[in-house]
Amino acid sequence: MDPSEVEFLAEKELVKIVPNFSLDKIYLIGGDLGPFNPGLPVDVPLWLALNFKQRQKCRIIPPDWMDVEKLEEIRELEKREEAFTPVPSPYYMELTKLLLNHASDNIPKADEIRTLVKDIWDTRIAKLRLSADSFISQQEAHAKLDNLTLLEINTIREFLLNSLNCMFKLRSNLQAGSSGRTFTDY
Amino acid sequence: MSEAAFDDSEINQEDDSQEDVMTPAELIAKLEEAWLNEKFSPELQENKSEVVECVMEQLTHMESNLQRVKKGDTKASIHRMEVDRIRFVLTSYLRSRLQKIEKFFPHVLEREKSRADGEPSLLSPEEFAFAKEYYDNTEAYLKAVALKRMPPNLQSIDMLKAVPEPCLDSFVFLRVKEKQENILIEPETDDQREYVVDLEEGSQHLMRYRTIAPLISNGAVKLI
Repeated sequence: MDPSEVEFLAEKELVKIVPNFSLDKIYLIGGDLGPFNPGLPVDVPLWLALNFKQRQKCRIIPPDWMDVEKLEEIRELEKREEAFTPVPSPYYMELTKLLLNHASDNIPKADEIRTLVKDIWDTRIAKLRLSADSFISQQEAHAKLDNLTLLEINTIREFLLNSLNCMFKLRSNLQAGSSGRTFTDY
Repeated sequence: MSEAAFDDSEINQEDDSQEDVMTPAELIAKLEEAWLNEKFSPELQENKSEVVECVMEQLTHMESNLQRVKKGDTKASIHRMEVDRIRFVLTSYLRSRLQKIEKFFPHVLEREKSRADGEPSLLSPEEFAFAKEYYDNTEAYLKAVALKRMPPNLQSIDMLKAVPEPCLDSFVFLRVKEKQENILIEPETDDQREYVVDLEEGSQHLMRYRTIAPLISNGAVKLI
């Protein structure tokens, strides 16, 4: 899957905006939005929030977890724990990136947040590489991956799945006589 | 009077989706799930013609409404953006199905042939026509460029053997929607033992496609 498609899915997440215009309720196929009144916060999907923002029609309120103290806590916990800790949002990385790139003026301490989220991401990806390595070296057939986000899975998907398939092919050729399983993929 | 009209429309909707009444939002969620399942599974999934048709209906309806709105209307531009997003998912979904049909066409057609009456079809009528045509064209092409110049005993070709099968032993990532118990995990090597796992609702796993393939079609798990 292309990372831009993961971002596409993340753009459906709801964020709070404060519009500076008024508009009646909109009846979208995916659900109703609004009504919009100047100064009153309202929930909209991120794609729409970014569009309004680019046209300077709103101010985006960052999600609760996008806060230096909370993120520092998460970072420490992530470093301490051996397993993956629950993330504040299933699309935390994508949301951070999109919001900081397009609406950094609405987010207090944007630079610190960028660094913190990057730290959390790096720690988690390092764990992910380690567990992928042990998954392969122990020749496991099942792994539980709770708390991993789609983007994280996506970073190792191609590489891990292709290597597992290759190894499976090599092994099934070795055992071809005993298992009797036919396997054709040239 | 108005109540009767309301009833009618509800019945019509029920006919369309062949199950309980779905809101458009649920319909879009269904399409997205089908899209991801299709993207990540090694073999072709059951066709979701009703979902595709319902979404198409929603899109054309919305687009014809938008035709009548004058340019520069804020609301219309928002609607247009949403329509574009849904259309992207829909086309990506249909395209990934066509790619699989092109890749595995003899096996897809074979499964379609051996399907029992009443079993849901793997392909939509349009996809079936496409697969059939693709098969015929490939065969005709191979004949024209090479086979007819071969010695007579080598002139036939078995497409089922010539085209690789989908590899059902690939690993997939999945999220559990309904709790499943006692899923048997086959060992990787001879000196390991098989064991069972329970799939808790909401948990995520990495395992072989073969093990959980039936759970995808009944909607108990989804691929991620």
